[in-house]
Amino acid sequence: MVLLSMILLPVLVAPFAWIGEKVNRDIPKYLSLAVGVFLAFCTAYLIAKYPGNGFAFHEFYQIYPPFDFNLHLAADGISLVLLGIVAFLAITVTLSSWHVERPGAYFFLILIFLGPMVGVFVSLNLLWFFIFWEFTLVPMFFHIGIWGAENRIYAAMKFFIYTHLASVFLLLGIIVLYLSTHTFEFEKLLNIHLDPSVAKLVWILMFIGFAVKMPVVPFHTWLPDAHVQAPSPISVFLAGLLLKMGAYGLLRWEIFLFPQTSKFFAPLMAFIAVLTIFYAGFRALAEDHIKRMVAYSSINHMGFVLLGLSALTAAGISAAVYEMVGHALVISLLFMIAGYIHHKTHTWYISELGGLMKKIPGLMTMFVIGVLAAVGLPGTAGFVGELSVMLAAFDYYGWVMVIVPLASALGAGFFMWMLQRAVFGPLREEFKNLKSLTELPLIENIPLALYIGAFILVGVIPAVVFNLYNPVVNAFSQLFQ
Amino acid sequence: MNINYLAATMVLALTGAFLPVINRLFRISGIQGALISSIGYVVSLFLVLISDKGKHVLEVFYTTDPVSILLGALILIASWMVMLVIYWITEKDKFVNELISALMISTAGALLLISANNFVSLAIAMELMTMPTYLMVLFAFDDKSFEAGVKYFFNGALAVGFMLFGISLLYGMTGSFEFSALVKNLFIDPLVALAAVFIFAGFGFKITAFPFHFWGPDVYDGTCPGVAALLTGISKSAAFIGLMRVVYEAIPVIAGHFTLILAIIAALTMTVGNLLALAQRRVSRILAYSSVAHAGYTLVAFAALSVPLSVTGIIYHSVAYVFMKTAAFLCFAVFLFVWGARTMDDYKGLGRREPLLAALFLIFLLSLAGVPPMAGFISKVFVFTAAVDAGMTWLALVGLLNSAFSVAYYIWIAKQMYLEEPTLEKPINDSPNKNWILLPLAVMAILLIVFGIWVNPVVDASAVYAAKVGF
Repeated sequence: MVLLSMILLPVLVAPFAWIGEKVNRDIPKYLSLAVGVFLAFCTAYLIAKYPGNGFAFHEFYQIYPPFDFNLHLAADGISLVLLGIVAFLAITVTLSSWHVERPGAYFFLILIFLGPMVGVFVSLNLLWFFIFWEFTLVPMFFHIGIWGAENRIYAAMKFFIYTHLASVFLLLGIIVLYLSTHTFEFEKLLNIHLDPSVAKLVWILMFIGFAVKMPVVPFHTWLPDAHVQAPSPISVFLAGLLLKMGAYGLLRWEIFLFPQTSKFFAPLMAFIAVLTIFYAGFRALAEDHIKRMVAYSSINHMGFVLLGLSALTAAGISAAVYEMVGHALVISLLFMIAGYIHHKTHTWYISELGGLMKKIPGLMTMFVIGVLAAVGLPGTAGFVGELSVMLAAFDYYGWVMVIVPLASALGAGFFMWMLQRAVFGPLREEFKNLKSLTELPLIENIPLALYIGAFILVGVIPAVVFNLYNPVVNAFSQLFQ
Repeated sequence: MNINYLAATMVLALTGAFLPVINRLFRISGIQGALISSIGYVVSLFLVLISDKGKHVLEVFYTTDPVSILLGALILIASWMVMLVIYWITEKDKFVNELISALMISTAGALLLISANNFVSLAIAMELMTMPTYLMVLFAFDDKSFEAGVKYFFNGALAVGFMLFGISLLYGMTGSFEFSALVKNLFIDPLVALAAVFIFAGFGFKITAFPFHFWGPDVYDGTCPGVAALLTGISKSAAFIGLMRVVYEAIPVIAGHFTLILAIIAALTMTVGNLLALAQRRVSRILAYSSVAHAGYTLVAFAALSVPLSVTGIIYHSVAYVFMKTAAFLCFAVFLFVWGARTMDDYKGLGRREPLLAALFLIFLLSLAGVPPMAGFISKVFVFTAAVDAGMTWLALVGLLNSAFSVAYYIWIAKQMYLEEPTLEKPINDSPNKNWILLPLAVMAILLIVFGIWVNPVVDASAVYAAKVGF
């Protein structure tokens, strides 16, 4: 019942957030915080009870067995890590949105987003996975469209249509897979040997769906628009959860399910990954818009995730999952601070910023820490993630991957250059007397501190995360032999 | 035909027939009229639901199987909701009782159509369903409704002409009208193929399949939106089931040779419907063209008729369609009545003016677009699974791409309602009991979500039907 309640409770609480606003403006945010804490407690409980390997906490709700259309929930180490991210971000995003306008509708949408989000990560039924997957679009569309920046409507429409179009390929892949196997169940699919040509077709169709969500070049164009226009807390959801859905789907429903086909396509994945890493790196280097730059660096990091997955070894997949965690924590921090910089200086452009360190040292120190983590400073999650991905890629592909560290240097380049122009240097004249340029109130600092604490914790003691899912990855990696 | 089912149609038609008489005698108000008709609907619904028990009569003409019980119940609920909304939006009109009378008789015709297993009864039921709607379309909402009425009448007459010609050809060759006799006696012959084409053309008009779709949007746009809800939602859904019975029970021999043509018609219907919908500025026309596109999705299932899943696809899509399309037009009707909103520009900011109604409209639009967990999603899954199963992956891909592009205009309406600033300042008809009208729409939204997850009733009914037609 724990997993089902984690899906249903946010959705059932959601209407109360909407109605509650009419009674008291504070009700919605406290409800959302309560749900976030509830999710965190449930996740902690599940992690404590987790036996260490394989799927646990099976919940089976029969709907229509002849078509295998049943709600089958279960969690393994990888799901638990991602559930942890969901719960963590639910709390931090709620705190960051403490003073949002129209809180009723805002937190209503957050709550109906969280339920399906949990569902995506714990569903072992492919059709239910798709139902949860697809439904997350709707609240995101309204979040971007209503609370976004100037160009929000364009971004919201593009986001919805683009990702829905991708889902269509995923759905077609699911249909073809179902007709060749007559099941939607993960554990049954695992034991079915599929005809290689059908497997390749299914793999490609589903890969398009996941690749758009991740996103990887050339399917990435929705992301910079959506991220830039979305309000910062929602960017955190987009980067921290929505992109993870793509990577998780690729891992769970393609790589684990079709090891041989994935092996066939591994060079393609690696090529796309390297392309993504470099393309996004160069775009970020050229970008003057600070949030857009962070968005491209987010794509850059997702390229590392894909590279780790494409290595198809226990080390590669472990590294990719770890990089997902690191990305969720680090990029969330950067998005929040980029949003605050705009809020305080009324400009998005790096060329119009300068010397912010002198005026708001507290916030900017956190920004610098975040940037260093994104660059891969030892002692942070970024370092462990990138290093382990690169090692795995070397191991699998050999010396071709010598170019990847160059991309890392590229990342260091655009971030450091941005810091030098925007944060350090002399304070610009127009900022000297700017009233709005002040430190954040405490409540908004808490989430930032939480992000930093979390990525340093998992950076210094990676075992916290690794141990949770390593046995699972090791078990599955036997399939690639 | 089960005696209870017959009684249900009788009760409904007679309630409808006597409603204007009662009004003439006692001058009933709108609320009283709604109550009297509701009694008719409730009794009829009850009789339909218990019609798996009891004696059988007229077995040669009508059959009562799980499909007709399921669809009959759903059509009754949808029609009931249409009745409530029409009473609410045309309270001051003095002919409203006549309108409701026609609605109930037409619904009785739809109930007969979905259970007809004989070409004579099929033609009669079809006419019973269509005749009252000629009257309803003409129900002078404005000048455009005359044009719509005339167009509808001539197209309808043409459709019946085609269909009767096809039926007479079949009769001439086999000497029988019964589906069960035809299926045994039919042979592959050019004349039979011709008859099948004519019968399909007759249905094509009713379901607005591609070459016969022109009248649809003009009529749905020209008439009162409550009537359009009946025409696009209920009549069309009943026609899908009628066509399904013809294809699977009467002429499967020849229909198997038409799969490619059906597939092409399906692809064209969806594409034309969606492309034209994208180009529209008026919300009623968007909904009308989206109903053309949905006829295309159903035809995808017809094209896949060699596999049993196609039956599930047709029935599921009819079930989802009867709710979502009817309800979408009813939402449009309420917006039109309260705010006078017709075009996309009028819809700007209506989400802020009418939060609950807009949220319901959004649910119906998302269901039409095929977003889970609404029934529109799972019905599309069944339809396209059937297509892939029948070896027409290309058709499924065309359909899915269509469905993805159709999202553009559905989400466009959502964008106008929620993301834009309001343009309309004051409602033109501000009714104090506005929230009551949300109740029927909420019922349909809940049923839509329930049928989107709880697939058992529909899939079980279609499994029984699939077994009956020999899969």
